[in-house]
Amino acid sequence: MTPATPFGGEVIRRASRTTAALQIFGVILLGILVSIYIDISNRQGNLEDAVRENAMWSVYQLDREADELLHSLKEVIEGGLKEASNRERLSLRFDIVFSRMDVLRKSKFEQGFSADNEVKSRLEQVQDMIMHLDPVFSKLTQIDFATVDSVELLSRASALSEATGALLVYTNTLTSEERAQNRLEVEALQQKAFLIVGLLSLSVLLLIVGLRRQLRGVQAAGASLEAMAQELTVSYQAAEAGNRAKSQFMATMGHEIRTPLNAILGMVELLELNKLPEDALSRVRTIRRSGEALLDTINEILDYAKIEHGKLELEERPVDLVSLAENSAEMMRGRATEAGTRIAVDLPHRWHARHVLADPTRLRQVMLNLMSNAVKFTSEGTVTLRMRQQVRQSEVWLRVEVQDTGIGIGEEGRKKLFRPFSQVDASISRRYGGTGLGLTICKEIVDRFGGRIGVESSIGFGSTFWFEVPVKATEAPATEQDVETPKAFASIAPLRILLAEDNKINQQVILGYLSHLGQTATVAENGQVALEFASQQDFDLILMDMQMPIMDGIEATRCLRDPMSRNKNVPIVALTANASEEDRRRCINVGMTSFQAKPISLAALHALLKGITPLPTIQTESASNDPLLTDPINPPKHGLAAVADRRQEIEDILGADAFEELMAAFFDDAVDLLNSLNVSMQDGRKENFDTLLHNLKGAAANIGLEEIALRAQTLRKRELTLADIDELSQQIRAAQTALAA
Amino acid sequence: MKRVFKMRFLTLIASSLLFTSSALALDAPKGPVILTVKGTLAHANVGGTAQFDLEMLEKLDGRTGKMKTPWTEGETSFSGPLLRAILKEAGATGSQLQVKALNDYFAEIPIEDAENLNTILATRQNGKVMSIREKGPLFLIYPFDQDPALYNEKYFSRSVWQIKEIEVKP
Repeated sequence: MTPATPFGGEVIRRASRTTAALQIFGVILLGILVSIYIDISNRQGNLEDAVRENAMWSVYQLDREADELLHSLKEVIEGGLKEASNRERLSLRFDIVFSRMDVLRKSKFEQGFSADNEVKSRLEQVQDMIMHLDPVFSKLTQIDFATVDSVELLSRASALSEATGALLVYTNTLTSEERAQNRLEVEALQQKAFLIVGLLSLSVLLLIVGLRRQLRGVQAAGASLEAMAQELTVSYQAAEAGNRAKSQFMATMGHEIRTPLNAILGMVELLELNKLPEDALSRVRTIRRSGEALLDTINEILDYAKIEHGKLELEERPVDLVSLAENSAEMMRGRATEAGTRIAVDLPHRWHARHVLADPTRLRQVMLNLMSNAVKFTSEGTVTLRMRQQVRQSEVWLRVEVQDTGIGIGEEGRKKLFRPFSQVDASISRRYGGTGLGLTICKEIVDRFGGRIGVESSIGFGSTFWFEVPVKATEAPATEQDVETPKAFASIAPLRILLAEDNKINQQVILGYLSHLGQTATVAENGQVALEFASQQDFDLILMDMQMPIMDGIEATRCLRDPMSRNKNVPIVALTANASEEDRRRCINVGMTSFQAKPISLAALHALLKGITPLPTIQTESASNDPLLTDPINPPKHGLAAVADRRQEIEDILGADAFEELMAAFFDDAVDLLNSLNVSMQDGRKENFDTLLHNLKGAAANIGLEEIALRAQTLRKRELTLADIDELSQQIRAAQTALAA
Repeated sequence: MKRVFKMRFLTLIASSLLFTSSALALDAPKGPVILTVKGTLAHANVGGTAQFDLEMLEKLDGRTGKMKTPWTEGETSFSGPLLRAILKEAGATGSQLQVKALNDYFAEIPIEDAENLNTILATRQNGKVMSIREKGPLFLIYPFDQDPALYNEKYFSRSVWQIKEIEVKP
């Protein structure tokens, strides 16, 4: 497509200009033709010729009657005038001549010639002659005929006859001339008309040619438009594919970022559970907060990618609105308190439906987002979370308001809200940070609910963000779930747990949590290994990662649920970072018991384990004594063998529980010691290293972890690096994992 | 036998009716004869022809029309008996009329012109009897006032004036 011939537009324009010109030309020609036609029809229509013909006829008649009179007069004179009948005959003849004369004089006939003076004078001459004869003929019947000079009468009648004859000849000549003249004029007119008709035909021909050209241009334009539309479709598809690829990439990258981040946060949470020095604890909190903020940001981006990808799905679960509101408020309270802001919860006294069917995760997401914004833009004020319900057309609508006493938003800023990547102004992003996607995601989610979202605000007086969604009332569930009471976990009877998880760090996190809850687990790094374990041993619970190499969680679950399988009835809980509704369905379809989104929190894990009752065990041997249950990735076999010896030793002396306590204490101490090493390293207090490593060596040796003891001893003798500490901590964690199994 | 009698009887009645009607329909003209109708006539009065004087003609069904003609100036009123009334009065049957003028000019007119059109033999122009000099005594006038389509040469040439005689042809 070159700009010179876009759709052959120039051709069409030229052709239509020609057509227009031809049309004008055609109309002019048609006008001329019509005027010629009118002219011709006027000439023919006004009876001019007919009148002249009649005039000729009248002149002829007059001449004939004059001759007749002369003839009769001759006869009568020869035969004698005395006979009355003869006289009457003459009188009649004269009357006829007179009437003919009268016709010529009175009627319109003479007008045909009136323009010609010669005709007029000749006519007058004839009239005079007749008038002179009149007195004689009028009295012919009464007078004595002797007084009539017949010779005189005869000569006058003869003169009359000659005059009328001359008039006839003259008018005839005149008529012929005029007829010829007329014919010439009509012929000229006809020629003119013929010419015009020719020109008209030519212009019609040109019009047809022009129209054909125009038509061809239009056809060409249509064809090129079609081609262009096709090109556009192709480009659109390419762009669409690119966009999809981008969304896919974002989802993948988000997942890739989230996995290590989850590990960081999990480790930090574990770290916080330990007795740490105050300064270290505050640093750990900073790490956790930063990590959480990073996770929020990534989650927002991922949510937005999902929305763009059209993958945002809502589920329907029973939700207790009171606990939803209170939990959400509770989650924000920490951050609010730091900003000196109070969080108030304002709930209705009477509910239309306190328990509703909705997606609690998404509702909470929107509420948290609005509250997080409110807290962000309010310092030393109050953020109120308000819920109201209304019944509209037999539908229950939930209205949630988040009111703050913050900086407020002006008219201009309000327009920009809810638009992707936009913040009220650039200074906002500098001062407060954020992706600018939060409200867009909220709007998308509320739209998906079929609800509305909005804001009322004025600068300096705070803002009220609100959303309304239709909800379905439901029965209150029999037992209240999700009552999170962090850090106060009831003890749980030891369970036989199989953890199928390929990611080392995730393994460590979950094992750490489990150990905190007094549990151990067998670790399988993929579905295949998990199946092998499950065929040899009974389990109370299997935690199954969805995505694993060799065999994924879905396939492994399918095999485990085989009627011939040893553990066919064991609860299997899916673990995945990709918590979409589709994944959930696939998990349930293959027979998974429930579903846990990663990262799993300590509380959630506790709640999960609480619901599992251990089956009566047939095997008496300890899991850790089974060589198959050792972690194949971390196989310090001789180390573990040493531990087993030591354990035997301690159990023999102090009883079975004593060794467990000792081991737990070691790992607690080990974490503390490692922390101290790290802090010392940061602060540059090298003098502490030796003592700390010594303590570690002693503690490790105490429970038979000779390799760790040896490592600590080796490190005492040389310059310590951060990598060394890392290696050491990994070794400890590996041992912990191995022992926990 | 019976049939022959019936025929004779009918002939008798027919001839007596013919005689009575001719005697009743057309008297002999009292004034100067201005029109003679010739041809196959049921009601002849003089020598196998039907002769009319002015009075007889003006007694018949007629009409007065105001119209423009090529032979008069301005609107002119013509009045006189309808041509078909004259033919009926004479008991004339035929298809063609030969209308003859004093100067022996004549025009052939189809009988339909009399039957379908209100054609008159005008006796008066503007209420006055027409002399020979004024195209009298009779002037065949088509109803140009009633039908403008008649205003053309075809009817002009049939508009005979100074009429003296109508011959009805089969």
